Amino acid sequence: MRMTTARVGHGHKIIKWFVATVLLVLVLPLVPYVFDAYADKSAAPATTSSVPSPGAELWRAVRQRDGIVSGTTQARGVDAGTLINPAGEEWREYRVTKLVPYSAYIFGAMLAVFLIYYLVRGRIRIKGGRSGVLIPRFSLYARWVHWVGAVSFMVLAFTGLVLLYGRFILIPVLGAEGFGVTASVGKWLHDVTSPLFIVALIFMIFTFLKESLINFKVDMMWFLRAGGYLGGKHPSAEKVNAGQKLWYWAVALGGLAIVASGLVMYFPNFEQGRQLIQDSHMIHTLASVFVISFMIVHIYLASFGVEGALECMTTGYCDSNWAKEHHDLWYEEMEKEGKIGTTFESEQQAAATASAKPTEG
Amino acid sequence: MAAMKFYCDAERCIECNGCVTACKNENEVPWGVNRRRVVTIKDGEPGERSLSVACMHCSDAPCAAVCPVDCFYTTDDGIVLHDKDICIGCGYCFYACPFGAPQFPSDGAFASRGKMDKCTFCAGGPLEDNSSEEYRKYGSNRIAEGKLPACAEMCATKALLAGDADMVADIYRKRVVNRASAALGSGYQQRQMNFGPKGGMSGKVTN
Repeated sequence: MRMTTARVGHGHKIIKWFVATVLLVLVLPLVPYVFDAYADKSAAPATTSSVPSPGAELWRAVRQRDGIVSGTTQARGVDAGTLINPAGEEWREYRVTKLVPYSAYIFGAMLAVFLIYYLVRGRIRIKGGRSGVLIPRFSLYARWVHWVGAVSFMVLAFTGLVLLYGRFILIPVLGAEGFGVTASVGKWLHDVTSPLFIVALIFMIFTFLKESLINFKVDMMWFLRAGGYLGGKHPSAEKVNAGQKLWYWAVALGGLAIVASGLVMYFPNFEQGRQLIQDSHMIHTLASVFVISFMIVHIYLASFGVEGALECMTTGYCDSNWAKEHHDLWYEEMEKEGKIGTTFESEQQAAATASAKPTEG
Repeated sequence: MAAMKFYCDAERCIECNGCVTACKNENEVPWGVNRRRVVTIKDGEPGERSLSVACMHCSDAPCAAVCPVDCFYTTDDGIVLHDKDICIGCGYCFYACPFGAPQFPSDGAFASRGKMDKCTFCAGGPLEDNSSEEYRKYGSNRIAEGKLPACAEMCATKALLAGDADMVADIYRKRVVNRASAALGSGYQQRQMNFGPKGGMSGKVTN
């Protein structure tokens, strides 16, 4: 017993000393900080700590850590006074690690979806067969507007994609110098076709505006039934269905974004800075990827995807049975107006005689 | 395998633009193109410093990464060069480069860009060394003659250093050490020697 109490007493002593040491080592050095925290700062003059490090200040400014710092320089040129442009690296990241791979995945996925759809569903035939009775659908003017816009956009899209993927796909085939020539021609084509597309886009927006206005009830129903493409009854549609309306708005809004951002890049003579061009490039590419992937849908469905669709834009006429199946509301409208089986010429003549009559009478 | 680098010593550069002139003269640079430029930070204020900047011949060059026609290549000396026969003048390298090194002579309507031009470290281009065509397209090829870039050779205060990265770093390290010992030996307060707002003619330490 004695031994143990002694031991306990000894142990107490050790703990006491231990606690005292801990207090001394850990807490005592903190005491000045407590004083400092409550001290009156206003009276104390700044001492050594206010001397700035000249090297650190200079390189912070050069490295643009606190926003863009432009110096003075004798050199004349865009952003010549900026020593380091940090945005360049962000743009590189965007183009090399995001734009190139992800856009390829998106286009690949779109193509794969339609290939599978074609293999599973096949071509969508006119169920009732061709009736042989034609309805005038797109006037010669509308067809011209469509095709000028379509061809110029395809040229722009193709040359743009050559610039985007050529390094990975075409250089192994053509070699660096061969591709240099191809890319030069492509860039030139891109430059000279763009004014044509701008004009065509403006015409397209006005020409197809009326039929592309949203009819909420009909269009919502069309989307809920996925246009009848995934089976089930074909939903009602006006002259153009809800999907085509969406395509119109994609072209209109996406096209305007592409044109606006493209013009910024087209004219370096206004000496716009790199930041603005980088932002424009980002808008240009994102909008283009969106419109091109939508274009894949449009081309598939309007050519071999749906029987009887392509002829509307080539001849201007559609088959009455096709119209009944795909655009029933429009068919009813045409029936009411008595335009089934007519031609553009006969309509024009009818319109001419109708307008001529009052003057005679 | 050397790695050629430029280094501009901000404590020595006096913004004389000698390097810019030397470059233009040596390489017959096209009008409107500045392969090298001197930029002054805080011009006329305390703490003013100048730096001469051109292509820094990056190890992982952003220009080469974004080039759609892959016209850039790195020589065995670590010099980043490009092939003007492949370049299409798209301007991507100019957007990506942190230093604003790629320059474009205006060519045709609306100042559309011609073939890109940039500092070659006076190493010419992919054509035959010191041929007239190489000179016309890329300027002189001093590296092939065993010389260093004209800008650095011309620098009066030896602020602009060019050469193998290890040797440039060595020279600069010695300078920094000497400056520190000079500062200690001079007996001034640090504030007086450096370029804080007070302390009279602030600025350059000897060496």
